[in-house]
Amino acid sequence: MSAHAATAGGRVQSEPASAYHESLLRSPVFLGMVMFIGSEIMLFASFFTAFFYLRFVHDTYPYGGEFEIPKGPTGINTAILVFSSFTMHWALVSIKRNRRFGLVAGLALTLVLGLTFLGLQMREYHALGFVPSDGAFPSTFFALTGLHGMHVFVGATLLFIAFVRAARGHYSAAHHIGLEVTGLYWHFVDVVWILLYTVVYLI
Amino acid sequence: MAVAHATDVSHAPGGDHGHGHGGGAPTGSIWLRGSWVRAIWVSLLFACVAIGIATLIRAALGFGEVYSSEVAATFGLTFWAIGFTVGIGCFDYWWGYLIGRHDWVEEDHSAHGAYSWRDYFKVNTDHKVIGIQYLVLTFIFFLIGGALAEGVRAELAQPGTQIASPGLYNGLFSAHATIMIFLFIIPSFAGLGNFVVPLMLGAQDMAFPRLNALSFWLLMPAGIMFIASFMVTPFDAGWTNYAPLSVQGPLGVTFFAIGVQFAGASSIATAVNFLVTIVTMRAPGMSFWRMPLLVWAQLATSSLVVLGTPFIAGSQFMVLYDRVMHTGFFEPTKGGDVVLYQHIFWFYSHPAVYIMMLPGFGIISEVLSVHSRKPIFGYKLIAFSTVAIGVLGFTVWAHHMFVSGMSPWLRIPMMATTMLIAVPTGIKIFSWLATIWRGVIHLTAAMLFALGFMFTFVIGGLSGIFLAVLPVDINTSDTYFVVAHIHYVLFGGSVFTIYAGLYHWFPKMTGRMYDERLGRLHFWLTFVSFNVTFLPMHWLGLQGMPRRVADYEPRFGDLNMIISIGGFVLGASTLVFMYNVISSWARGPLAPANPWRALSLEWQVSSPPPIFNFDETPQVVGGPYEYGVPGARHAIVTVHTPEPEVAVPVTATLTRGAPERREAILSSMKHILVVANQTVAGEAVIAAIRRRAGTEPVHVTVVVPQGDSGDGWVIDEAAARAAAESRLAQLLAALRDAGIAAEGEVVSSDPYEAVLDQVESGRPPSEIIISTLPRTRSGWLRKDLVERVRDRTRLPVEHVVVNVPDPEASGR
Repeated sequence: MSAHAATAGGRVQSEPASAYHESLLRSPVFLGMVMFIGSEIMLFASFFTAFFYLRFVHDTYPYGGEFEIPKGPTGINTAILVFSSFTMHWALVSIKRNRRFGLVAGLALTLVLGLTFLGLQMREYHALGFVPSDGAFPSTFFALTGLHGMHVFVGATLLFIAFVRAARGHYSAAHHIGLEVTGLYWHFVDVVWILLYTVVYLI
Repeated sequence: MAVAHATDVSHAPGGDHGHGHGGGAPTGSIWLRGSWVRAIWVSLLFACVAIGIATLIRAALGFGEVYSSEVAATFGLTFWAIGFTVGIGCFDYWWGYLIGRHDWVEEDHSAHGAYSWRDYFKVNTDHKVIGIQYLVLTFIFFLIGGALAEGVRAELAQPGTQIASPGLYNGLFSAHATIMIFLFIIPSFAGLGNFVVPLMLGAQDMAFPRLNALSFWLLMPAGIMFIASFMVTPFDAGWTNYAPLSVQGPLGVTFFAIGVQFAGASSIATAVNFLVTIVTMRAPGMSFWRMPLLVWAQLATSSLVVLGTPFIAGSQFMVLYDRVMHTGFFEPTKGGDVVLYQHIFWFYSHPAVYIMMLPGFGIISEVLSVHSRKPIFGYKLIAFSTVAIGVLGFTVWAHHMFVSGMSPWLRIPMMATTMLIAVPTGIKIFSWLATIWRGVIHLTAAMLFALGFMFTFVIGGLSGIFLAVLPVDINTSDTYFVVAHIHYVLFGGSVFTIYAGLYHWFPKMTGRMYDERLGRLHFWLTFVSFNVTFLPMHWLGLQGMPRRVADYEPRFGDLNMIISIGGFVLGASTLVFMYNVISSWARGPLAPANPWRALSLEWQVSSPPPIFNFDETPQVVGGPYEYGVPGARHAIVTVHTPEPEVAVPVTATLTRGAPERREAILSSMKHILVVANQTVAGEAVIAAIRRRAGTEPVHVTVVVPQGDSGDGWVIDEAAARAAAESRLAQLLAALRDAGIAAEGEVVSSDPYEAVLDQVESGRPPSEIIISTLPRTRSGWLRKDLVERVRDRTRLPVEHVVVNVPDPEASGR
């Protein structure tokens, strides 16, 4: 079973075995990440269910009391996260064309933008003026944004690992499945936030 | 008890995928390398640090109450479980990879495969080892959950209080259900699937062997938490853990809620692993429509786990938030709603009943087809209906909530979809009936449990349709009718299929045969006591006895006493199974590679399979169920047999020595009986004898029975006997050349009698080799000679097939 093996910087990278290996979805690692993200989508769905259900039960929004959430500043934060998806894409495109600088710079920029997002989100929590135990809306609000923040943190950890490996020259145009997987996860985190921002903040 | 696979690692084919972890070289202090000792201290360290940090943060933020037992339990338990997996060694490889310690060029297989029983207590990446680890651990949980059930039945044997206060009683049934569902049924299917699925696909292992190991080791802390949830102030909200009971309940609820997260993470990781394995690791030629139905079932189940389990994680997160952070998800005074909990919980937990049933359906398809020697009826429809059940399973959750006060408009659609599920389920039942119709049914223990399953599961399915109907459900909600229904589908359904699967694959897993008589005794004890226990519950429920109450009206007393007695016998029947498994595993007769003459790939390798499953990647050429179809093949499997070395030629000593010396030598050697007629001089027979002679001194007795030649009409008996004499002489000469002591005769009895004559003679054989023509042409096989000999003599029997050209066919 000659599986996925390619030379990268003089070292052989190996993945779990697969008999055939042409498209990305045939790569076990990539496919595994797709399925894991499917599971993650359902985890977010359970919290969105709570959000919509409680919203449906109550006549007013936000429900369970009077709560003010900042649309504008969070909009800027949203833009930062969306921009980080493009820098991630830049990193991926760069490695496919074997450009080391674009790869390392793209990853570093993505990581910095992600951490900025997290910092601004913490600042928002601090400035909100309500806490999770104040009512049903704060409960769902903190649960959803907190769950998302946790995912940004996990994504940033993956990015950090990818960044260190990229700096050490572990990736090549032929072999960079670790980057593909990290990128996919990062885009997922981004898309969830766009949905969350639209539903919770805007509508 | 353990199964040692004596294959050299260097034999491993050059798979360059991740099998082993290199971090756990068995050097260094026991405190530092991956071990139970490290698991204990690291887990406690993690827990203490987490509790300390949480307390410090609370102090820094100025909380009035700095230490809270809820907060301490939440953080302590979470990090204790993570620390346990770190300490036992699940992350050693990944950590080494992160810090760049491993030479990524060479994948080492140091953690793959079990070479002694100790390897079963370590992190191991071999799917076969993990499968057995799962099955043994989950069976221990089954015994604990069963003991709790016996507690429930002891309390309910008579009206009034027997052994448990109402509070303790709540704890008993809650812990019983949670342990049985989350720690026994779901993971034991993961264990069976782990062992069998990669073999069935023709793969060397799962796609992510290290993740597979992590999945298993996550289950252990989850299990400890579930058991602890009963030991600390008991978890008493029932397995559904409904709000507000859960939010207001004692500390045990926190243990349960966190235990579910780890059990769930374990399930999801296993499910992703199964999905990727099934999609990417099928052997060449193994198209989706050639996969055994158990693989189809695991595919559908894993999809359900991946998509459903996050919902129970979400529901328990919300319970934890409400308990620890005092959020308001389920708190009406804060604008929350308790019915929300039920929606989120059942959106997982209804698909979960199919997670607990679909793999069982897969097992039944295997067992029925193999043990009735017929192709499965409606292969594609069974596969499609499996997928259909999976899809429909997500549309029926609110039928658990007809009396919960949910929106009334949801009721009718949920009732309709629920009844719709009977269609794909019915397709399966009728396909199975058509499979065994006019088959050659072998009533092995596995087959008995499969047939028993069809009986009990249909009853459970019918009471399910009752419960789906709104007016009936409103009347029977929270009565013993529901208890009867769930036990008919979960015990009469899932547990029966687990037993069927365990008996079916026991020879493959352990390399030894189980005791068939004990297996049948186990089935009949289980089947009868199961029905005595759960059938009367239907009546109790219809008469209005509520479930989950420690006491009841005296008028229910008689039936409850019968139920309790049935329950105790049911518990005792498990002891028969345990005795059978333990004694057979230790010293049962050695199992041949394919005792059931099954076609699927796992039976084409030795029992137990080699450490890397297949010497060469198999080539799949047909469907897996073509029993009785002449010339049909599922796969071409190449097995590399090491060339046998003949130990000591003793023939010279034997011919020259004195009679006493001769006797002494003969009795010190292993005595092998070879039974063959047409095929006696076949290459495979000689090879089988040489293989044994290569490992220990043997002497051989050959009998060539003429009583039942099996291939038509013998016209000239004298000529047939002369031909037999000449074939025998040919074999004896070949053996003499190989230095193997052998004698033989042509007898006129039929083969079964000939074997018995030898077994009852002064020098009984310790092993038997039966050689026949291929299945389609062998009269001996048509009469189940191999099985009958094995059952009667209880000796290891090897069946060798020799394809001698058919004289009639060539003459025509």
